[in-house]
Amino acid sequence: MNKSMENNVGVESDTIATDGRRGFLRGIFVSVAAAGVLSPVKLKADDAAIMEEAEWGVKLGYPTNKQPYGVPSPYEHNNVRRTTELLSSGDMYASVAMSPIQNQEGIITPNGLFFNRSHGGTAIIDPNKYRLMIHGLVEKPIVLTLDQLKRYPSESRIHFIECPANGSTGWRGPQFNNLQFMKGMMSSAEWTGVKLSVLLEDLGVKPEAKWMLAEGSDNSEMGRTIPMEKVMDDAMLVWGQNGEALRPDQGYPIRLLVPGWEGNLNVKWVKRLEFADKPWHAKEETAKYTMLQASGKGIQFFWPMEVNSIITSPCPEKPWTDLKKGDMVEIKGLAWSGQGTIKAVDMSFDGGKNWEEVALKGLVLPKSWTMFSHIIKWEGKPLLLASRAIDDMGNVQPSINQEISKVGVESVYHRNPICTWEVKANGEVNNVHVRG
Amino acid sequence: MFMSEVKKPILGTLLALSTVASMALVAGDLKTNVDGAAMYPTKDGQYTSYRVNTQSTKGFSKEARTPTANEIKAWNKDIMPDGTGLPEGKGSVEQGDELYADKCAMCHGDFGAGGKGYPTLSGGQGTLKNQLIDPAKGDEPPTRTIGSYWPYASTLFWYIQSAMPFPNPKSLTNDETYALVAYLLSVNEIQIDGVDLEDEYVLDRAKFLKIKMPNADGFYPNVEKGTDEVRKFLNNHNNYGQGTRCMKDCGETPVVRIKNELKDFHPAPSEAKDLPQVKDAPEMSEGHKLYEATCSACHANAAIGAPVVGDKDVWSALVKNGIPEIYKNAIEGKNAMPPKGGNTSLSDAQIKSIVDYMIKASK
Repeated sequence: MNKSMENNVGVESDTIATDGRRGFLRGIFVSVAAAGVLSPVKLKADDAAIMEEAEWGVKLGYPTNKQPYGVPSPYEHNNVRRTTELLSSGDMYASVAMSPIQNQEGIITPNGLFFNRSHGGTAIIDPNKYRLMIHGLVEKPIVLTLDQLKRYPSESRIHFIECPANGSTGWRGPQFNNLQFMKGMMSSAEWTGVKLSVLLEDLGVKPEAKWMLAEGSDNSEMGRTIPMEKVMDDAMLVWGQNGEALRPDQGYPIRLLVPGWEGNLNVKWVKRLEFADKPWHAKEETAKYTMLQASGKGIQFFWPMEVNSIITSPCPEKPWTDLKKGDMVEIKGLAWSGQGTIKAVDMSFDGGKNWEEVALKGLVLPKSWTMFSHIIKWEGKPLLLASRAIDDMGNVQPSINQEISKVGVESVYHRNPICTWEVKANGEVNNVHVRG
Repeated sequence: MFMSEVKKPILGTLLALSTVASMALVAGDLKTNVDGAAMYPTKDGQYTSYRVNTQSTKGFSKEARTPTANEIKAWNKDIMPDGTGLPEGKGSVEQGDELYADKCAMCHGDFGAGGKGYPTLSGGQGTLKNQLIDPAKGDEPPTRTIGSYWPYASTLFWYIQSAMPFPNPKSLTNDETYALVAYLLSVNEIQIDGVDLEDEYVLDRAKFLKIKMPNADGFYPNVEKGTDEVRKFLNNHNNYGQGTRCMKDCGETPVVRIKNELKDFHPAPSEAKDLPQVKDAPEMSEGHKLYEATCSACHANAAIGAPVVGDKDVWSALVKNGIPEIYKNAIEGKNAMPPKGGNTSLSDAQIKSIVDYMIKASK
């Protein structure tokens, strides 16, 4: 309910029927029951939004040929990716644009809002000049044009991609008071392309091949090493993103998809796959994307994104300041695991002292965002709202202390502990850490 | 999660049971992969919830062509720790110093000291065990640089030649790259075969293969003999933070609130559902487009030290010396600025159009 409606209409908030009463009414007087539920809202004045003809109802809309490629409503202009200089390496070419997941609906990110991390800007590749080279320890090295690659039999899979630095800020304490910058280094899409196992079955991988290098053709020519076990399980070369060609930010015309693994491994603008018996130790798997421990040693080749979850509504950007005591409200969120399929999500209202299992919602797919939902009556009392995800491999999302005790505070990557929102009595929502 | 000593054993038992139960659900023929993830089978035309066409997919590459030897040579530029792919060539520390001053120092600072938002390239040895837990207690963070952190010099050669200088990558010859590697090793005080890298030291392929980086043994799990060690590490969640599924009375929950909120966001956050203020964006001139592509990496960043576009004072002072002088500096280079900003494929006329745009945008 927005302010103007509140002023115009006025609502008596203390007359919400309980579930039991509603059920009783429904059972006996069906037609009266509806009136019974509606009647408590007493109108004090007519709503101008109803009484006056709306501008859009009395003139023609825009014609069907105005937007050959449709765009969001102009009223949605604030639903955009955002950047901060704090998360860039000197400029906005080697930086990250965060997805506005506070407005995420469902498990598919609109292509224009997909988070964008690049290391030398977004390359615009001419698809007619695109070439893919596959060589090294394969029986038949090949070069393919884009059209040739797209003739291979395809699969479509829904997977999230998450940068392992998602949630990397604030290991000594919370720093951002918004969901977009806490968790916006991830997005999800339905990807279409060819499984690498299909391609390689045809080319014949030599038995001594243990590793694959995937290399981008952009300014940074970013490359990463992938072990054959992953290549042959579910890795893909994809050209489709949510029903259309990949966006340039996502590697148009071709990117590697390694489901559930660090975003960085999903090499964009990929031009070359080479097979060898040893790993390459590229810059992004030595200087970066390694996890320095308190021992002074770094963990290398830490590929999967671990079990994780976040409550997306409420959140600091989507508070409950418009709720009244007794209002019904749905708590919504996303859970995901790069190591399996979400099996359960627990929710706590007291910062993790007590937990209860809540409902999963919608599609439950491997290595994919999975929605969860819990409906409560808002009592106007402070809450410490937290979610904890469990996957089908038995992995349980850790607390902050459980995680720090293992990996310290200096390994920027792979942070997946329980996140907590402090919901104040007035409905404001803040990012806090529970460090018990 | 904190748990009292009394509760631990009970919860431990519960956890063990629940883990067994959940494993049982995925047991049967379900295997785990090298990353500890479930490997789902394709069975009866189905892969988890997805239906699959299980016809044979063999034969699609029958007509695909083989790359020529020259094509592979043109693209296969990666370099492995054992020296696979490392080209012949040579360059001295002194040559590297000059190249660094021309092409690198504007972002990475003198001697690789950083300081402009771009990565620091030198120093940091002995800091890797640092943990910045409480700045008030004087804790310092670790400094990860080429000298303190990078395990292999092969990565350095490969990365410099394929991705640097940032606005103009793949422009360095093999000799230039050897020289830059030599310089960066010298500022990190790394020896080769017990020899200090003085100015006159010439690095070549044979010497390069003898480099042992100080942090060569600084990483685990070991992958020299394959993926067994990684598999062992990643399949044990206790190595990197496993939670417990405690449901009741799970312990104290001390709350830490934001002390210094970070608020530097672009565009400014707003959830308002209103109409945007309409600004008619003028068509970009050619100079403006070229500026964005070639020059803005330095000239839009005050930290670099190049005249920042939009800075009226700086540009009016430059214009006082005459626009031909600015054209000349842009074409021939000046101080840290390389000729034509490093993009020598631009014509003089194009450079002039960029300068015209930069002056206009700074009035």
